Parts: sequence; C-alpha cells; structure tokens
Amino acid sequence: DSSESKKGGLASMLPHPLEHSWTFWYDNASGKSKQIAWGSSIRLIHTFNTVEDFWSLYNNIHHPSKLVNGADLYCFKHKIEPKWEDPVCANGGKWTITMTSRGKSDTIWLYTLLAMIGEQFDYGDEICGAVVNVRSRQEKVSIWTKNAFNEAAQISIGKQWKELVDYKEQIGFITHDDSMKLDKGAKIKYAV
Amino acid sequence: DVQFEDESTRKKKYSRDFLLTFSEQCKDLPEGFEMGADPDIITSVHAGMFRGDRDIL
Repeated sequence: DSSESKKGGLASMLPHPLEHSWTFWYDNASGKSKQIAWGSSIRLIHTFNTVEDFWSLYNNIHHPSKLVNGADLYCFKHKIEPKWEDPVCANGGKWTITMTSRGKSDTIWLYTLLAMIGEQFDYGDEICGAVVNVRSRQEKVSIWTKNAFNEAAQISIGKQWKELVDYKEQIGFITHDDSMKLDKGAKIKYAV
Repeated sequence: DVQFEDESTRKKKYSRDFLLTFSEQCKDLPEGFEMGADPDIITSVHAGMFRGDRDIL
C-alpha cells in the first residue's frame, strides 16, 4: 500500500548500516630503511560503517593494480590492528590467493571486501580482515582469521571464499605462528 | 537476494550484487575523511589536493 511504498522510499535514502565497522590501513615498506620495524610504517586511512561510505572510500583509493610495488592495503574490523601481535589475531592465520603476475587481483580484492562487509561468511565472526600485498612479480590477497585451531571454521571460510570470488585453484591456510617462526618455510595447515 | 537483516542471525547481510548497485552513487570521499594516510593511496585528483595541504602545513 501507499504507506509501505513511502516507507520503502524513505528507507532507500538512508545510509545502509554494516554489521561491523571496518578500517582501511596502508603500508608501503619499500624505499624505507630496513631498520624500521615491520609494521611501524602502517597508517590508518579511514573507518567506515555504511555501504555508502565503503564505496566513497573504495572509489577514491587506488586499486591493487595501481599500487606501487611493496604496498600492502588492509581492510580490517575496527579496533583489530592488522598485525600478528594484535591479541585478536595472535592465535590466527590466513588463507591466501596468489596471483603470479601484476594487475590481476583487483576483482578478487573487491569481491573479498564485499563478501566480508556484506556478512556472506557463515563463520564471519572468525574473520579479522583482509589484505592485498603488491610485489614486483606477484599480488597476494589474504583473509586473516582469529583462531587457527578451529578447523571447521577455517575450512568453511576457505571454501566459501573461493566460491565468493570465483576462484578455482587450491588455496592454503598458514598460521601466523608458523609465519613468524618459519617465514617462507611455513607449512600449509589446511588446504581447500 | 538481499537480506538486510538475516532472521536467524539478526545480522545485516548484503549480497555482492546489491552492494554493487551503490558503486556509482558514492564518488566523493566520505564525510569526516581526514588525510592521515600516505597520499600515495589516494587517487590522483584527491592526492593533489592533500599534497597541497601538506605543503602548506
């Protein structure tokens, strides 16, 4: 009826609130002294909590293909710092999709962001955020999670992520603990 | 398949297709945006503006 359509009209003009507030962070370690501790150059861009503000930010920041080599762009839940040391992340790990050439990650990055802020994951509460790492010969998109030992949650997130970004190849999950201790020698804990 | 508020979880859920419909409507930087980040991350039009601000400061 008319009251319903009026209500719908008004509702469509209001900002669409997200379940969580999210923060974009940016880091570009290239060109800086190696004496600078990892993560110390990371800078907060902005925090948003509506669909509209997400697009206002996304449309005004470079997409991965336009970022300089060495850049890391993060989108994490508000108040979770994108660092292994953050108490929420410390026992977690990450699923990673690696693209072995430059300029290929824009769509996967966008679809990952939309899946997270739109709460499309069954275990969304287990997710800390996502990061895209831009390097000279590859781009990596990762989803960070909270508890690496909650296997059911990790497997679910990994499988759903592949579906949500239309990715067909196998992906692996590595714990932050292993990444810290073993760096590139870290072993894959789960694969989907 | 928009589920503004999922009945079982009470979460505000939005499908990819629904979110994509807002892309063209939101072209300006969000209200309250402050340049705390490296200007390299901001696209050229705005980066120039912020670099100018920084030079003045």
